[in-house]
Amino acid sequence: MASNQILIELKGIERTYRVGEEEVHALAGIDLRIQRNEFLAVMGPSGSGKSTLMNLIGCLDTPTRGSYLLNGIAVEGLDDDELARIRNLEIGFVFQTFNLLPRADTLRNVELPLVYAGLPRAERKRRGLHALDLVGLTGCGHRKPNELSGGQRQRVAIARALVTNPSLILADEPTGNLDSKTGEEILSVFEQIHEAGNTILLVTHDEGIARHARRIVRILDGVIASDTLRGAGGTPPPVRLEG
Amino acid sequence: MSLLEALRLAAATLWANRLRTFLTILGNVVAVSSVVAVVAVINGLNSYVSEQILSTGTHVFSISKFGFVTDYDTWLKMMRRKDLTLDDADALSRQMQYASAVVPVVSRSETLRRGRDEASGASLVGLGDGYPDLRTLDLETGRHLTRQDMLGRAQVAVIGVEVRDKLFGSIDPIGQDLRVGRDRFLVVGVLKKRGSVLGQSQDNIVLIPVTTYVKIYGKRNPIELNIRSTGPETLEAAQEEASMILKLRRGLKPWDEPDFSVETSQMLYSFYQNITKGVYGLTIGIVAVSLLVGGIVIMNIMFVSVTERTREIGIRRALGARRRDVVLQFLSESVALAALGGIFGVIVGMAGAIVLRATTPLPASIQLWSVVVGLLLASSVGLFFGIYPAFRASQLVPVEALRRET
Repeated sequence: MASNQILIELKGIERTYRVGEEEVHALAGIDLRIQRNEFLAVMGPSGSGKSTLMNLIGCLDTPTRGSYLLNGIAVEGLDDDELARIRNLEIGFVFQTFNLLPRADTLRNVELPLVYAGLPRAERKRRGLHALDLVGLTGCGHRKPNELSGGQRQRVAIARALVTNPSLILADEPTGNLDSKTGEEILSVFEQIHEAGNTILLVTHDEGIARHARRIVRILDGVIASDTLRGAGGTPPPVRLEG
Repeated sequence: MSLLEALRLAAATLWANRLRTFLTILGNVVAVSSVVAVVAVINGLNSYVSEQILSTGTHVFSISKFGFVTDYDTWLKMMRRKDLTLDDADALSRQMQYASAVVPVVSRSETLRRGRDEASGASLVGLGDGYPDLRTLDLETGRHLTRQDMLGRAQVAVIGVEVRDKLFGSIDPIGQDLRVGRDRFLVVGVLKKRGSVLGQSQDNIVLIPVTTYVKIYGKRNPIELNIRSTGPETLEAAQEEASMILKLRRGLKPWDEPDFSVETSQMLYSFYQNITKGVYGLTIGIVAVSLLVGGIVIMNIMFVSVTERTREIGIRRALGARRRDVVLQFLSESVALAALGGIFGVIVGMAGAIVLRATTPLPASIQLWSVVVGLLLASSVGLFFGIYPAFRASQLVPVEALRRET
């Protein structure tokens, strides 16, 4: 069962971009293991490579070098369609700017990943309503995003991330566009869904927000600068590969 | 994403941009409505023309001074030809082996009177013996004009229902008189209702013996001879025979050009068909240009739509949309857009045809095949011109699309 506990395994991940004649090393050799049901924060200043790392973990991008195992699947060799399928089934995204479709109502937004999973309408609706219940938005299914407050919109986005029952929730500065009180509410929603058994990876530059996580990985100049475990929670200690 | 899902999404998007949708589809509306309307009018004309021209009966041909004249110069030349006479008709009738009937026909527009009632613009038609076999002129009551009427130059008439209604009202016209100028005619028969053609009533008509006609109006009238051959197989021989006899009567050599025209209704019909072919050709040109323009407009609007929704595409890709889902989404949108243009085009075309039929003498009958062809054409334009924008949308890199402001 031990190996089954590992959800994500990154080995020697590098990502280089070509800007004109120059090669930019956004990630310069990342090794990271994340176990199931971890609540992990990735921190770093802008330009540190944390967004690149998030895109790679979220299968929106592929590494230049290195290997990435997600839930036992070797992601680095997958084609575009297979990556789309992984994003659809294994990953739930929560963005800083919510990224809801403005013309679709709340329920349609939450159902959207299920459309691409090919689920029938009735099943989509059932699951969508259930996901809205989970984030405390029961009965808001017919409202449009612009009729909701910022906090409610982010809850809709979380419901959309949860609706496929993914193995990883990937949140990029989820409180960045919210006031601190609403931000706290959203973080408590993340804590709830973490307690319900979900694995959460939170990308932030805010120490206060990172403190909600059990484990903090700091990135600087494309490499992991530190990896610390907070408190003595129930989560097993992270495994560092090499020093 | 299923096709149904994609179409539902396309419908919602087009509805959200109603004005833009409307403006985008105009090209297709023009193209499809022209197809539907032109086909409707030509088809209406076809059924009228074939009924009208070919109703003179099979294996019938006619000999006339003018023939089928299409320009003024020819007409002037024809003017110098000799008139056909009743004697010509008699000669042909007597000498031809391949003719089963030779019927002279001559007509003019006259005002008919009875007491203070009048029917103006009526066609007064002088007909020779045997005409009921050549033309579909069925009687409602009374009798047709007979050989005795012809020989005796009798002042008798067979009238159309419109003449009866105008002059006699509810009175039985048989045995009553009507006047044409100073001449009185005894009504002996009433024709069945024939309806109107190209706005011209076919029932405002009076048939009288051709001999009586010539007695009243003189010989210098454009008499035409309708001749029926003994059978379809002798039609050509009969034309040759009639032509030869007439040439000899006029002192021409058999190899001379005839100074009269011999025509079958089939010839008229093929002339007409050539005209319709021309109209169809023109329509195809208009339709092709409007579809091309319409397609380019659709392609442009789809590019705009893709650019505007770059962020949306990024979101969808992040949530699991494959490239082909994006292609399907935008392709269904362009096809739906184009097909909508087609549907509006069908409605406009049908309305146009109906209005034409109601306000002008042009008949129009809407054809299902033109509707189907119109819709297929419009939709395929959407498919063809939608491919490139949809492909471009699918090639967006999700990470970059998500970063876009819009």
